Amino acid sequence: MQTIRLKLKEEITSGIAKIPVEVDSLTPDKLFGKNEAEIKAVKVWWGNKEENTGDLFDVSVEGEAASADEVKIVMEGDLSRVKHIGDGMKAGEIEALGDVDMHCGAMMQGGRVTVKGNADCWAGREMRGGELIIEGDAGDNLCAMYRGEMTGMTGGKVTVGGDAGECVGQYMAGGEILIKGNAGILTGLNMKGGKITIEGDAIMPGADMTGGEITVKGKVRDMMPSFKFVETATIEGEEYKKYLGDLAMMEKRAKGVLYVK
Amino acid sequence: MVEITDVVCSLCGCVCDDIVVEVEDNNVTKVKKGACSVGKSKLMGHGRIESPAIRENGSLKDCSYDDAIKKAAEILAAARRPLLYGWSSTVCEADKVGVELAEEIGAVIDNTASVCHGPSVLAIQDVGLPSCTLGEVKNRADLVIYWGANPAAAHANHMKRYSYISKGYWTAEGKKNKKLIVVDVRRTATAKMADVFLQIEQGKDYLVFSALRAMLYGYEDVVPEVVGGVSKKDLLETVRMMKEAKFGIIFFGMGVTHTGARHNNIVNAIQTTRAAHTHTKFNIMPMRGHYNVAGINQVCTWETGYPFAVDLSRGYAWYNPGEHSATDLLIRRECDVALFIASDPGAHFPGESIRHLAKIPVIQIDPFPNPTTEFADVVIPAAISGIEAEGNVYRMDNIPIRLRKLVDTEYMADEEILERILGEVRAIKEKEGE
Repeated sequence: MQTIRLKLKEEITSGIAKIPVEVDSLTPDKLFGKNEAEIKAVKVWWGNKEENTGDLFDVSVEGEAASADEVKIVMEGDLSRVKHIGDGMKAGEIEALGDVDMHCGAMMQGGRVTVKGNADCWAGREMRGGELIIEGDAGDNLCAMYRGEMTGMTGGKVTVGGDAGECVGQYMAGGEILIKGNAGILTGLNMKGGKITIEGDAIMPGADMTGGEITVKGKVRDMMPSFKFVETATIEGEEYKKYLGDLAMMEKRAKGVLYVK
Repeated sequence: MVEITDVVCSLCGCVCDDIVVEVEDNNVTKVKKGACSVGKSKLMGHGRIESPAIRENGSLKDCSYDDAIKKAAEILAAARRPLLYGWSSTVCEADKVGVELAEEIGAVIDNTASVCHGPSVLAIQDVGLPSCTLGEVKNRADLVIYWGANPAAAHANHMKRYSYISKGYWTAEGKKNKKLIVVDVRRTATAKMADVFLQIEQGKDYLVFSALRAMLYGYEDVVPEVVGGVSKKDLLETVRMMKEAKFGIIFFGMGVTHTGARHNNIVNAIQTTRAAHTHTKFNIMPMRGHYNVAGINQVCTWETGYPFAVDLSRGYAWYNPGEHSATDLLIRRECDVALFIASDPGAHFPGESIRHLAKIPVIQIDPFPNPTTEFADVVIPAAISGIEAEGNVYRMDNIPIRLRKLVDTEYMADEEILERILGEVRAIKEKEGE
């Protein structure tokens, strides 16, 4: 097992302008096999300039890894301006000790990312596999898609300990999302497959869905007027109303399932 | 005195092109015909930024164009996260140089659509836009719907020239054979003219669109008795009118792009138009604000592939409104330099963005002093496009129209200012490279 510690230097985010650092080049699979000096030389984007990782982060490496699966990256410091943590990662583990910026776990294919705080917008964007755990809140567009794409998350598992913002799982086609708190407006918008569970409340869930399943355990505010009531169902001992929708997509395409109390 | 006909108005997205003005001693002295009161006021002229200036010890000191341009170039060339914003109240030729400058310095380039019809642009990417020209509306439309828009106040010539009141080839009797539906949260001046007014609850547009779609597809049985504050009876009447129309058009404005589900409201509005196609010919069009906001979207798209909020910092275009849109960048304090051209964020952006702008170097290029001038560090006055400078602009229906020059000026045109800044930036970079 190898642990790579990356601590963002204080001066990077202490200026008047808080310019984000983009770290999609720092995933366990990309750093596997590199020694400390080589990791320090990996380029990361800071604004419109590419910098050495060692110039922006304090870097330390402990232990050995036989494969990328055995590489764990621990990110420390003020990560609220560190974007693309775990973006595209295929294996291994990343632990971010604090709030992280946008696109955390985007395009992820394998491995695990744990955020010990809040994650900003587009966490888990177009995620294909692996696991993303956000212990705090998630911003908007969790597990959704890049602007203009017609497919969001297709695989993997995402857990949010707190609340999530708007458009959770937009265009989602597979995988699982669990929100332990509330979700913002339009959860599961254009959803085609996969499963979303919201333990708290939701607003207008399931709009334009053509597949997949959404369960809202709390209250639904502004239920869509274009869903068809099917039957009463019991899930984990509790009674839910099962709806099919969205009929605004025409009946032959309205294969989405929405469970509300 | 000279009379100039077919003058094009450089104010709002209507881009009226049948204005008649009188010019005497190199000044517009009278607007004889065609312009609305706001357009007339712009044509007649008002206070200007008189000289280029650079801020020293807190106050602006007049300087030469050369000095201001050089200073602007120095600031931009040294920036790590510059923002170039505005672009909608100038011509496409200037916008084109702006994109080139953004690429040269690895900037984020954004335009006023970002705080205006940006949501519409996002929606159009998702589901397309079944639209038409304003000429088609004038000649064919027998059902006009204004949703979250109040043209009687904001686009004063719109109904007269292009829609409800206009007389065209198949609509020779004007509004007599047309129907008007207005959807809004309050009874606006436009709503008072309507055959049907749907007063919806704030933020509930999305639900109303979905209900209309379900009804247009024939599933009215699932729709509840009241949706978003509108009765099912009124919704059914609206659907009946839509089905019976020969040519329908939905014009929508800020009242629906910036409420509740925001850009997804527009996705739903477009999907409603599509649902209406199962019965008749229907169209939809955003009520664009500034006269060339459609144009900067065009230019930005043909140059970078994306219409607004484009980040070129990595040397290729990455587009993400919400991340690279000007207000988001500023609220997050991401930018270290900002250039504003033909726009006034000082008046229109949230307070938190302005607080950040007060702390970083700001460059302003504009014919007129405005709240942005108050915190700008380099101020460069420009000729007024459509009065002192010519160039191409795009009307709200994406029809290109050429602005005319009416009088001569000593002020430099936007395009020339930008080209000179770009030249200086390249010279600095070449020197650094050596």
